[in-house]
Amino acid sequence: MHIPENYLSPSTCAVTTIAMVPIWATAVKRVRETVPREKMPLLGVAAACCFLSMMFNIPLPGGTTGHAVCGTLIAILFGPWAAVIAVSIALAIQAVLFGDGGILALGANCLNMAFVLPMVGFAVYSALKKRLPGDKGELIAAGVGSYVGLNAAALCAALEFGIQPLLFTDAAGNALYCPYPLSVSVPAMMLGHLTVAGLAEVGFTVGILAFLRSTVPSFGLTEGAADNDKAVPVLALLCCLIAATPLGLLATGDAWGEWSLEDLSQMVGYEPSGMATGWEWSSFMPDYAVGSLPEWVGYVLSAIIGVGLLIIIFRLLAGLAKPRPTFD
Amino acid sequence: MTQPPTPEPLPAWLTQHQDYEPQPDSDGFITKSILSVSSVLSRMRLDDGVDTSFSPSAPVKLVFGLVGILLVSLSRNYLFVLLMLAGVVVRAALLPQRALDRVAATASAAALLAFVVMLPAALLGQPRSALTIAGKALISTGIAMEVALTTPSADLTGALRAFRVPNLFIMTLDLALRSIVRLGEVALEVLTALRLRSVGRNRRKGSAMGGVGGVVLLKAAEASQQTHDAMRCRGFEGTYDDGRGWAPRHTDVAWLCLLAGLVAAFFYLQGLV
Repeated sequence: MHIPENYLSPSTCAVTTIAMVPIWATAVKRVRETVPREKMPLLGVAAACCFLSMMFNIPLPGGTTGHAVCGTLIAILFGPWAAVIAVSIALAIQAVLFGDGGILALGANCLNMAFVLPMVGFAVYSALKKRLPGDKGELIAAGVGSYVGLNAAALCAALEFGIQPLLFTDAAGNALYCPYPLSVSVPAMMLGHLTVAGLAEVGFTVGILAFLRSTVPSFGLTEGAADNDKAVPVLALLCCLIAATPLGLLATGDAWGEWSLEDLSQMVGYEPSGMATGWEWSSFMPDYAVGSLPEWVGYVLSAIIGVGLLIIIFRLLAGLAKPRPTFD
Repeated sequence: MTQPPTPEPLPAWLTQHQDYEPQPDSDGFITKSILSVSSVLSRMRLDDGVDTSFSPSAPVKLVFGLVGILLVSLSRNYLFVLLMLAGVVVRAALLPQRALDRVAATASAAALLAFVVMLPAALLGQPRSALTIAGKALISTGIAMEVALTTPSADLTGALRAFRVPNLFIMTLDLALRSIVRLGEVALEVLTALRLRSVGRNRRKGSAMGGVGGVVLLKAAEASQQTHDAMRCRGFEGTYDDGRGWAPRHTDVAWLCLLAGLVAAFFYLQGLV
């Protein structure tokens, strides 16, 4: 679901980024009000879970791959606005360091995965939770919410891909950017996400939520101070996920809409000129790989660096936040 | 019964109403000096290195840090640099908040400076070399800061003895580290006195600032003489105990194995370039 560089026109990227600015501003304001300073590092751990879940590629019908996002999980634990910030930072690290998703397309990717996904997922979760009491009811609500949220995000990405050939063509009628219209992009994206990727999102969300609720009930915005002794199970979960990331390499093939320019040219029979002349960022570890070394080495290293950076960023943000003393 | 003494009336000059408005004067530089001295002092007092139960002994940590910085600088293989980056990032993520703030600020400033210095290379079509140098600066500074912030300063100077560093050098370093805080306090007191006495317009404030340096220097000379005398009185002959620098721990074995693994990985990956 990560829209790569040059698949969207610069004007589409600009519009989505401008749309995200007030959302980010509101999110920062709301997080300051709702998330206590001492819980900010936990938000970093949740963002790390999100980062890792996006590294598990799953084969989808049609020969492409997909992945979970876990945005609804963060929204359930820390509120939807905290999820906007957490997923946005995870996406920014992926784009800058690992070339996963474009830098110019960061606004579009954040709109889909950091805004639409957690907001829709959390709305469905909240509506269902009122009708389904108890722990099991919460897990069912979380599962349904995450499934609907992921598919809403995939639909948004498909719409952004699909409007490109309608809006941007050259004199010969060839698309300048993504060449697939809505009639192709929407079914292609939704087929994979309604079936396998949606279920993967449900699995990650419900699995991690059930684990956290049973081992570390204070994880999230629930009452109770952040307990350092309880950090061990969460760190163990992160370590297990990092060690398991090479499983994401078992799924061969690219995700839909994330092909290289050469592969795309072969598929459509021409090279979209806007993509051929577009700007590209040279990231530290393109596609989580290092030179000619085994892919799993690069994958595990990327996971460690990404998780470490996310935890550091959120701990630094916690340091910047003003303490709010209570005089009870 | 003795009568309580009758209170004397207040002197006439004390009962007069006065409207004294001190003339405004700029004394921002004194406040700034006070703040900067205080911030240095608070850092030196509060961040005096904290060991964890997984930490190796100070000499092993020092060797690990120095070899790590050397290998990162020499490495031509990108994977090795990333390997070290992963190590630095994971260690930093587990540091206490205050130490993490300092490591992040210093390392990112060093990386930014290196990137700016290498900017011409990036503009001439070699962006990767600029990123690599900035990355190496980030890792080297990160390692140095992490070693410094996780080791008590006395242990670090003691560790130097294990490397046969001359006694005079260690003693100078040890005394300097200890007296910086004391002299900083003296400077703070003198600056506060200058600020309190400078009510209204004071034309000699600038020259008085020079006096602060002089007072601190005199105090330093006095303090060093007193410390030396005190050490001689306690039987100090100018040599440090040889055993002081080396107190092996169980964790040392694991850290030395890790270091050997890093060196092996370095040579293996260098061979692939």
